[in-house]
Amino acid sequence: MDEKTRNELLQLFQGKLNRAMRFYLETCSRCGVCTKACHVHESMPHVKYIAAYRAEIVRRIYKKYFRSQGKLWSSLGQSKELSEMALEELYEAAYSCTGCRRCMVYCPFGIDTQMIMSIAKLLLIGASTEPEILSMLADMSIEKGRSIDVLKEGFLTGIKNLEAEVVKKWKIEAGETAIPIDVKGAKLLYVALAGAHSIIPAAAVFNAAGENWTLSFFEAVNFGAFVGDPTRTRLILDRIVNEAKILEVKEVCICECGTAFRVMKQMAGKQPFEVSSVTEVHARYLREGRIKLDKSKFEGAVTYHDPCQIARNGGVMDEPRYILDRLTEDYREMAPDPRYNWCCGGGGGLVALGEETLDFRMKSAKVKADQIKSTRATILATACENCHTQLDNLNEHYNLGVEVKFLTSMVADALVRH
Amino acid sequence: MATLYYLILVPMVYIAFAVFLLGTAIKLVKLYKAPKHPSTLQIFPEQNPKWLWALYDTFLLPTVRKHNPLLWVFLMIFHICLVLLIIGHIELFRDFSIFQAVPHTIFLGKGLVGLFLSVSLLFFLFRRFVSPNRELSVPEDYYLLILLFLTVLFGSQMDWARAWYKYGEMGVEDYREYLMSLLYLKPDVPANVLFAGHSFMLVVHVFFANLFLMSFPFSKIMHSFLALPMNKLRRG
Repeated sequence: MDEKTRNELLQLFQGKLNRAMRFYLETCSRCGVCTKACHVHESMPHVKYIAAYRAEIVRRIYKKYFRSQGKLWSSLGQSKELSEMALEELYEAAYSCTGCRRCMVYCPFGIDTQMIMSIAKLLLIGASTEPEILSMLADMSIEKGRSIDVLKEGFLTGIKNLEAEVVKKWKIEAGETAIPIDVKGAKLLYVALAGAHSIIPAAAVFNAAGENWTLSFFEAVNFGAFVGDPTRTRLILDRIVNEAKILEVKEVCICECGTAFRVMKQMAGKQPFEVSSVTEVHARYLREGRIKLDKSKFEGAVTYHDPCQIARNGGVMDEPRYILDRLTEDYREMAPDPRYNWCCGGGGGLVALGEETLDFRMKSAKVKADQIKSTRATILATACENCHTQLDNLNEHYNLGVEVKFLTSMVADALVRH
Repeated sequence: MATLYYLILVPMVYIAFAVFLLGTAIKLVKLYKAPKHPSTLQIFPEQNPKWLWALYDTFLLPTVRKHNPLLWVFLMIFHICLVLLIIGHIELFRDFSIFQAVPHTIFLGKGLVGLFLSVSLLFFLFRRFVSPNRELSVPEDYYLLILLFLTVLFGSQMDWARAWYKYGEMGVEDYREYLMSLLYLKPDVPANVLFAGHSFMLVVHVFFANLFLMSFPFSKIMHSFLALPMNKLRRG
C-alpha cells in the first residue's frame, strides 16, 4: 500500500473517532467474557470470531496511528501497520460480523463491536475493496432520490397493479384508495420495501384500522448502513425524512426491515414526526380496538425471532408478543430473555450479498437453527426482511420444518370485521 | 546503593506521578473533546433510572457474574482489595477519621489484603495461558498483570518483613515523614526508611508501582475512568 492511500485511509479512520468510538478502542481488557456471545463463534469456534478478537484487528491499527502506546512501545499492544494484508483481515472481521450487538450484552464495559466494525467497513470502502454489490445498491437508492420525477410514473403503475390484492385481504369502501400515495397531510407515512409482500399486507391492515396513511415512494432499506458508509447512509435516510416533511405526516412507519427501522429511529434526529415500526403500529391498533384478529387462523405452535436491530437494538420487544398473543393459543418463546436471542446470521449486509455468503451464513448460524428447532414450533414469525430470507435459508438447509412468516402478513391474514 | 534507593524513592516517584497525572488528564481531555456519537448506543430493554443501572453495571459487573462467575469472584476480590489498599496508602500520609469509621490499625489489612490481591492477579495471569484467552491476549495484558503482581507482592510482604524486627522498624511514622516530605516538595527519606533491613522491599515495591503509574494513561487501565461513561452509553 502506498503512502498516499494509507494516509487517505487514516483520514477516514480519524473521521470515525468520536468520543464513544475512542472509549471503545481504549478500554477493552481482553477478558474474554464475550467469547460465548457471538453466534458465529458458537457455531464455528475459531478465535477470530470472538468479538474481542474482531475488535482487536481494528484496535491494533488504532494503537499504531492514534495512540501514544503504539508510538512509544509498539509491540506492547501488538499495534499493526495498515497494509493490504491488514485490509484482508478487516474484511474478514467486518463481513463475518452481523452487527447484532449481542456481545454488548456480555461485555462488562458494553463495547459496541458493530461500531468498531464500521471503521473496518469504511476503510474497505476507502480502499475500494468493499463488497461491490452493497455499494451499487446504496448508489441506486441515492439515485432514486435524485430522479424521483422520472421514476414516479412507473412506480405509480406498479402500485396500481397491487391494489386488487390489497382489496382481496380487506374490502374498502367505494371511493377509497387501497394504496394511497402522495397524500399531503396524511397522518402516517408507510415506508415499505421494494416488493409486493411488504406493501399488500401492511396496506390491508392500515385500511382495516381506518388509518389516514400514505405510501412512501422510497424503499426503506438502507444499503449505506450495510456497507458502512455514513455519508450514503445519511443520503438514503434523508430521502425519506424530506418526503415526510413535504407530506407533513405525523408518523413515519417503517416496514419489517431491522436496519431501516434502527437507522430511521435513531439517526433521523429531532423531526416533526414520530418514527415507529410497523409492529408497534399494529400492536397499537389492537390495543385501541381498531383491528381484530382471528385467533384460529393459524394452526400449530408459533415462535418469534426477534430481529436484532428491532429488539435488542431498537427496543421493540413487547409489541410482537402482544400481537402474537392475539394470533395464537400456542406461542413459544425462543429465548427466555430477548436480549440474548441469537442473531439469525444474516445481518450486516450478509443476506444482501446472496449466494456469495450462503455457505458462511448457514454454518455460522447453526446455533440459531438449533434454537428454532428446540421450540418445536411449526410457524416461525419474524419482523425483518433480512431475517426472513436468512431464516428461510436455514429452514431449508437444516430441515427445520417450519413455515417462516412475516408478522405483518399474519396480522393481515387474520383480520376480521368487528 | 543508597543513591539508587534515593533515585527510586524520590525523583522517580515524582516523574511517575507527573506522567500519571498529566497523561491521564491529557487523555481524558482528548477523549472528551471528541464529538459525541450522534445517536443512541443503548441496548434494550431499558431500565430506569439509567444512571443508577450504569453504576450497577460498573461496580458490580453483572454481565461477568452471569457469564463467567469464577472470573467475577476474583474480579470483585481484586477491585475491593484495590480500594482497601488505596485507602491504606492514603492513611500513610495522615489520619482520616472517615476511614477510621471502621477502627483499624495502619497499615490496613496487615498484608492480608495484598495477599488476596496477589492471588487474584495470579488467577488473571494464569487464565491468559489458556485458550481462547491466550489468543486474545497481547503483551500489554501480561506486562500489566506482572507489574501489578510484583508491586503488590513486595508491598504486602513488607508487613511480614516487619515481623522480623517485632515491628520495630519502618513504622507508620517513618512513612508519614517520607510521604509528607514528598507531598510538600521537600523530599527527605528518613534513615529508617532508607536503611532498614527490608528497605529493598519498599524500593522494589515503589519501583514497580512507579512503572505501573507511568503505564496507566497509555494502557487499558484507563478503564478505571471510562467504565462508567461506557456503561452509561449502553444503558442509554
